[in-house]
Amino acid sequence: MSNDMKISSATPGDAQRVAAPNYPPGDLAIWIFILAELLVFAVFFAAYAFTRMNHVELFNEYQATLNRDAALINTLALLTSSYFVMRGVVAAREGNNAFCARWLWAAVAMGVVFVVVKSAEYAHHLGAGVSLSTNTFYMFYLSLTFFHFMHVILGMVILVAVAVKARGDGYSVEDHTGVETGASYWHMVDLLWLILFPLVYVMR
Amino acid sequence: MNGIEPTRQLIRPCTLVYAVLMLLTVVTWGIGRAGLSGLGVSLTVLAFAMLKGHLIGDWFMGLRGVRGIWRWVVVAWLLIPGGLISLAFFLSYRS
Repeated sequence: MSNDMKISSATPGDAQRVAAPNYPPGDLAIWIFILAELLVFAVFFAAYAFTRMNHVELFNEYQATLNRDAALINTLALLTSSYFVMRGVVAAREGNNAFCARWLWAAVAMGVVFVVVKSAEYAHHLGAGVSLSTNTFYMFYLSLTFFHFMHVILGMVILVAVAVKARGDGYSVEDHTGVETGASYWHMVDLLWLILFPLVYVMR
Repeated sequence: MNGIEPTRQLIRPCTLVYAVLMLLTVVTWGIGRAGLSGLGVSLTVLAFAMLKGHLIGDWFMGLRGVRGIWRWVVVAWLLIPGGLISLAFFLSYRS
């Protein structure tokens, strides 16, 4: 379901506000999926926080072994990628497929930064003998961040698919729901990390 | 971003939002780097995260201009884990 049908504009970039839509940008199905994902992560976040209640010292001790600088780089990378994706959507709405593709490739590059930095973190921990069974903190840290990591990978695949289609002039001012759909998923990935970062790396 | 808003007019406020997001992230990292702890610090950091999530939902996801229940879907979601995490940290400091 797209909001594009409600645009009345003579030229690209000249769209006029006619009325607030009832549905968010992109396909409604992706928003149902996003809601399900958000709820699953909400349960994980709450489980982490309530489990921590009974193991405060352990959580604080092992949280200190995490690399906050890496987490900062990853947070900045995801935020930057979200900004790039937003610019890609703007370009698509204006019918500029070439610019849309460029912004999306830039977002994918930021996703690659996240994957490389996070993989280095995992390599460090696994090299030190850390596993899911090491202790409760690491069980949460590894499972929560890896679950999110898989969402980043899927989000990058989606962005690449949308960028390739944009490069082939596959979107138009009238029909760019695919760009908005992919963008919505990527923003969700960013949204999840925005809670995960302070919860796992900072709050103590 | 909303599908019916004039697109060009979105870039400047979204760029400002991006700058705020980056700033709040660096402040959060700085708090962690300084080793600050305590209920007030934790809840402040969580509040930053929720504000950032709200900005992402409103400006990047385009919910700012949506009517009805979808307008508040990200805010409602933020309140669920945000509230539960706050409760858990409050209880852990109380005990």
